[in-house]
Amino acid sequence: MTGIVKSLIGAAAAAALLTGVSARAADDKIVIGGALSLTGLQAPLDTPGFKGAQVAVKYLNDNGGLLGKQVEFINIDGKSDPVTVGNVAVELVDQGAQMILAPCDFDFGSPASREAQAADIVGLSTCASDPLYSSWTLGDKQFTLSMWNTTMGAVAADFAKEKGWKTAYVVTDQFIAYTKSLSKYFVAQFKADGGEVLLEDTYTNGDNNFSAQLARLKALGKKPDVIFVSSYGTDIGVIIRALREVGYDAPVLGGDAYDDPALHAALGEQMGNDVYFVTHTWMGPEAHPDMPKFIGLYKQMFGEDPDTSFVATGWDSVMMLAQAVKAAGSTDGADVAEALEEGEFKLLTGDLDYGTAEEGHAPDKAAVLLELKGGKPQFLGWRRPESVPAP
Amino acid sequence: MTFALQFTIDVLSLGGAYALMALGLVIVYGILKLVNFAYGELIMVTGYTLFLMGGSGLPWLVMAAVAVAMAVVTGVLTDYIAFRPVRAKSITAVLITSFAFSTLLQNAALLFISPRPRNVPLPALFSQTVEIAGVITPVRNLVTIAAAVVLLAVFAWAMRRTVLGIAMRAAATNFTMARMLGIPANLIISSAFAISGLLAGVVGILWIGRIGSVVPGIGSEPLLVAFIATVIGGMRSLEGAVLGGFLLALIDTSLNYLLSQELLKFRDAFTFGLVILILLWRPEGLLKGPATGQRT
Repeated sequence: MTGIVKSLIGAAAAAALLTGVSARAADDKIVIGGALSLTGLQAPLDTPGFKGAQVAVKYLNDNGGLLGKQVEFINIDGKSDPVTVGNVAVELVDQGAQMILAPCDFDFGSPASREAQAADIVGLSTCASDPLYSSWTLGDKQFTLSMWNTTMGAVAADFAKEKGWKTAYVVTDQFIAYTKSLSKYFVAQFKADGGEVLLEDTYTNGDNNFSAQLARLKALGKKPDVIFVSSYGTDIGVIIRALREVGYDAPVLGGDAYDDPALHAALGEQMGNDVYFVTHTWMGPEAHPDMPKFIGLYKQMFGEDPDTSFVATGWDSVMMLAQAVKAAGSTDGADVAEALEEGEFKLLTGDLDYGTAEEGHAPDKAAVLLELKGGKPQFLGWRRPESVPAP
Repeated sequence: MTFALQFTIDVLSLGGAYALMALGLVIVYGILKLVNFAYGELIMVTGYTLFLMGGSGLPWLVMAAVAVAMAVVTGVLTDYIAFRPVRAKSITAVLITSFAFSTLLQNAALLFISPRPRNVPLPALFSQTVEIAGVITPVRNLVTIAAAVVLLAVFAWAMRRTVLGIAMRAAATNFTMARMLGIPANLIISSAFAISGLLAGVVGILWIGRIGSVVPGIGSEPLLVAFIATVIGGMRSLEGAVLGGFLLALIDTSLNYLLSQELLKFRDAFTFGLVILILLWRPEGLLKGPATGQRT
């Protein structure tokens, strides 16, 4: 027993020694810490961001580093667990991280940002889109690279108006803040645009059973012009298939959770039609002249094409932080945050201009609109709504 | 009338899947008195086997058969890797090894395939619909009902009429006595895992047929469903597991239809509330099963 205790103390001492060493070593390099989740529920969204960030860090280092220093990216798996994500962020700060990349979601990412704020450094979520990811809730040095759901919902609703779709059927998955608020802002903008919501229904993630909702939709007695489905993961495919199978062929609208090649393939040629979604970017030169360069670098590093456009969020996160650090001339949290507030960024994932800390660091950002045709996505263009619903 | 038919099909197809999931879990529990937490991964293995064979050009039924066979093999491997080495030692050890095996398999899929969803080949039949007396329903729901009826019938027959089935029931009732009478313990346990794998494989194909793709965590929902169904039905009774599966589907589907939009958001709370009520009324589950329970 004493043996175990002794070795535990030894291990703790060794760990303390190690962290001390790396924290001191940080003077000649810039350390970006990542709490991205490489396992668990959040892995499908964080792993691409992680890979994109690695490509960006290598690119920076190959081109002279940042402020004359090499950039080091340390990611510790947040394991899709909010508590672990928070602990990981503390650990990263101990290891000398001067900026933190937080997971791509408010529920999973905010603990990392809270720890970053507590350590007075900038925290940036790679793609959390819930307006809760703001300086109001997390502090004046916290940002998200993504547009908010206010923008995402507004772009979808404005597109419906443009197409002349007047009546909508809205399905909301009760899974996370993201799925709930996306529907909320779509409905707000859709109504403001003069549309009528025929029915709002609820779905529980993981049910894989949409029959009760279909029965309620049928009981309406009329077909909607457009169907808005805010869900997450493979459930989106389940819902769209269920709707299409029983003859609801109205266009389906959705958010960035639709941006998944596996979903497109699951819908296939038969059902992957007339589906439109608002997302971060498009992996072609139409979206950004630098996109082919990024894809080339990605391929060089990983030996394969990116399997989702979310890889661009990782690249953008690191490149934008780098740009802000350059503008600020230091990695001091307050300076970098100020540079992020003042700068305008032309990113692979759209032009971005942050509001001030008083304005919640609201991202004024362009969104990409894609259409699914025969199970293949097509680029419809960038959209930047003139007005968005209040968060 | 249309509504009643719609409701019945919904409950039976969901209940059929739930019942098979629960049965696969309880068959191992009955004998070892231990929950196999790697059970959900058998469904995952089925899915990834289908995915890996996606481009092979084989007829779909062959791919499905291989996928189910892989689930059976993985089921038996679970026994050899996670259960057998520590079975005689302590319950805690087995619980932990079964969790470890589950994590290992999930992370293997995560590492070697991808954390992102992967598509599985499905026959056209799985996305077709039929109209029965004014009710449009996906064919796969009817396939699920048929598969559940056939499998449950075969299973019930085998447990009553075959030597292996009788031996397994004996082992579930009193393992020590069964062994003294010459029933080989390892064979019985491995068979239980194989049957568990078979059920997981079939239900995996039906479940993935609803979804269209496979992710590393696909097994967690079925594991939870199976666990709740067996707890309501009675952990020691095979019939109880089936009953629990159908009952859980009935509760879920009824709540889906009955609750208002505001309350529907909290459906799971209602489901578990009802489960608690059932357990308060029948702490042992609905059906009691053989009167033993000593782990041997």
